[in-house]
Amino acid sequence: MTDLMNSKKPQWWKSPDVKKTAILWVICTAIVGYVGTEFHVRSIVEPASETMTGVIDLMRIFTWAASPVAGLVFAICLTVLTSKRHYGDNPPAEADHQISNSPRANAVWIVVSALLCLFALITGLIVLQKDSEAVLESTAIQMNVTGSQWVWSFDYPNGARSEDLYLPVDKPVVFHITSVDVKHSFWIVQMGIKMDANPGAITEAAVTPNKIGVFDIRCAELCGLLHAYMQTKVHVVSQNDYDKWVAEHAALEGRA
Amino acid sequence: MTTLMSKPVSAPGKSVIERLNIVTAVVLGAVSAFVVWRLALQFLPADTEVRLFTREDKITLLSMVAWFIGFMTGIGALVGPFRWVMGKDLSHDENMFLAGKDMGVNRYFRYTTDHKVVGIQYLVITMVIFGIGGILAMLIRTNLGTPEGGWIHPQAYNSIVGTHGIIMIVGTIIMVTGPFGNFIMPIMIGARDMAFPRLNALSFWLIVAAAIPLIWAQFIGGISTGWSAYNPLAGQAPLGMNGYIMFICIFAISTMVAGANITTTIVRMRANGMTWNRTPIFIYGTMASVALALPAFPVFFLSQVMSAMDRALDTSFYNTAGGGSGWLYENLFWIMGHPEVYVILIPAVAALMEMAPVFTRRPLFSFNVAVMGIAGISGLSVLVWAHHMYISGWAPLLNAPFMLTTELISIPTGMLFLVLVGTLWRGRLWMTMPTMSIFALLWNFMIGGITGIYLSDVPADAFLHGSMYVTAHFHYTLMGAGLTGALAALVYWFPKMTGRMFDKKLSWISFWLVQIGFNVAFIGMFTVGLAGQPRRVESYASTFNTGNLITTIGAYTIMVGMLVLLHGVISSWRSGDKAPMNPWQAKTLEWTVPNPIPLENFDVLPTVTSDAYGYGKAKS
Ligand SMILES: [Cu+2]
Ligand SMILES: [Cu+2]
Repeated sequence: MTDLMNSKKPQWWKSPDVKKTAILWVICTAIVGYVGTEFHVRSIVEPASETMTGVIDLMRIFTWAASPVAGLVFAICLTVLTSKRHYGDNPPAEADHQISNSPRANAVWIVVSALLCLFALITGLIVLQKDSEAVLESTAIQMNVTGSQWVWSFDYPNGARSEDLYLPVDKPVVFHITSVDVKHSFWIVQMGIKMDANPGAITEAAVTPNKIGVFDIRCAELCGLLHAYMQTKVHVVSQNDYDKWVAEHAALEGRA
Repeated sequence: MTTLMSKPVSAPGKSVIERLNIVTAVVLGAVSAFVVWRLALQFLPADTEVRLFTREDKITLLSMVAWFIGFMTGIGALVGPFRWVMGKDLSHDENMFLAGKDMGVNRYFRYTTDHKVVGIQYLVITMVIFGIGGILAMLIRTNLGTPEGGWIHPQAYNSIVGTHGIIMIVGTIIMVTGPFGNFIMPIMIGARDMAFPRLNALSFWLIVAAAIPLIWAQFIGGISTGWSAYNPLAGQAPLGMNGYIMFICIFAISTMVAGANITTTIVRMRANGMTWNRTPIFIYGTMASVALALPAFPVFFLSQVMSAMDRALDTSFYNTAGGGSGWLYENLFWIMGHPEVYVILIPAVAALMEMAPVFTRRPLFSFNVAVMGIAGISGLSVLVWAHHMYISGWAPLLNAPFMLTTELISIPTGMLFLVLVGTLWRGRLWMTMPTMSIFALLWNFMIGGITGIYLSDVPADAFLHGSMYVTAHFHYTLMGAGLTGALAALVYWFPKMTGRMFDKKLSWISFWLVQIGFNVAFIGMFTVGLAGQPRRVESYASTFNTGNLITTIGAYTIMVGMLVLLHGVISSWRSGDKAPMNPWQAKTLEWTVPNPIPLENFDVLPTVTSDAYGYGKAKS
């Protein structure tokens, strides 16, 4: 990008505004990368699954990968803004060059952005592959999730049924999600998974909770009047507690 | 047709064309709607099965169609075609009357074909739309100022969100190509008017006609589905949904008509010597925008027709019980919805590209790359729609290919950045509100672009989709980039459109208020999205309190900024300094016509011998 300037002069990089931009570029890149990642990492929820940790890592990687580009754009802006500015009703003298193109700058820019794009794609594909394979995990708990206006209900493999979800820690779960009325979206916030609940179809999502605790389930698709209140909790407990809980609740259902 | 024109109609007294205006249109529209409503009420058979709303849906839709036909007839849209069929085409005098030869203020309230009148009409209606959409936004933000929300009923709240969404989308679609694409573009290419002046008037009055069903909808249950009106939710929504459907159908026709007209004008009517290499970049932006709308909006139209049929005629396009699928709606909607993003964005960015050389006094950097960027975005944007459906479960195997096409868009988008920073580099900065808008655009669009990369990534989207993060992201692109460009265009072309300079001080004050308020508001919204707040909720967990409060404060700052801008528009228009012919000493053709601009723009059509970016001194 710095060769935007006329390259008739052999040592274009010695020009003061190029040097200034280069220094600003380094500074801006560092600031964008650091502030960008910190902003995301601090605002985002505490992860409660490997999947969510992956999402946070992706954001970190993408922010740092994008920061040199953003840093360069901001550096050039700062250089331009801190050079001589003209106020007034009439235009300043015209710039002392007529450069209207620089094939080299174009080529460098396009190649770099293509590489960054490829990088983003490959990183995404690797994580996506991992997430998609999780659905095929044969030892997983198979859980049925049903959305209806405006509650979630969960059917456990042993026949138990509940409106807040209980899961054992460190055990893969596959959710089979559907809806009885309109479209909802099943979101376990801290686990980084979300899948729409469609009437007349079953969709799948998988996750392995890796932290004991209580986390949030929210509906992420506008589903009518009380959409905002269509939320519940997921209790991630030890395997023992889980077994005890489902046994109790299966018995409760059996009573009916 | 010329042979038909040789038989002028001698009209004794006032001809019918001279009698029709907005008043006759509204009266005829209202009367037709009322008559059809009474007739439908009387004669439509009652529902045989118990199915919510079906008969009422038919009645509502029929009345709205009647309004539409009555209004368009009353404004005079049918006079031309009717007379042509009768073999008595409009006489020269009548055509000149339609063009607004009298130059009076009444021509703004008639079916006037002069592109400059249409441009001003678009400008005013855009401001009205932003005014209403802004008030709705303030209601939303006020309700979200505290976690319990509460003071707006959820039904009303959902409807406010939906109405805010759809009218802001429409407002931003027309905000550049409407006012400036109609007023400035023909002069910029050295033409006397648009290719099809009557279609031009038609496209504007269709928007006015469309507005009524949307307002009507507010009184019959509202649009409680968000602007995307997903089925089957839209199928069970109250009668107001029919207003949304009619609004979209009429607006889609308007967009298609405008698209055909503007595209033809640009392709066919550029001045002598204005080769594609000498055509200003704003023209490319305008053309890309309206040309993209050409494939997108018929699909939108169709999706809503099917929605209406599901509601009123018991079909099952989207109804799963009858074998339909909500995924079908989602596909149709986003086949329109993603190109539409660029329909909004491209002309706004192109307008700033047009201004960049003027305010840096040097040539536009890499014109060819700019054209390639615009073309690349346009081409790719029709191939990315399903990135809105990653987590819909519709086709998990297609996630990877759609991730590819979506991320590819970053390459042509990057080209637009290159052109802008390349033009700024070593320019002579002339500090005006449009100049600073270029910097603001680079900042906002950078944030919107990078957050867009996270969203394009399937695993990250599984967390972010449907959260406030998405809402913040698209406000950064559509408002931070799009609206910033449109406001700069307003200040830049204001002298040519009104003959007066825009008040400098007010333009600066509003610029800073809007930009600072905007960034405060939507940075705050990013944080609550990351913390897990879903979109379109009227209450939220108290953990999201701080971020929402920040957003609300930011939103109020934007409001103050926009009010300052409105004051600037009104006061400058009424009593601003008289503008010289070429206040910015720019080189495009619109600055070569005097103020006020004569009816047909040019006495002698110009000949173009170079591009419009010949600034800068040659090195000796
Ligand atoms: Cu919901
Ligand atoms: Cu999109």
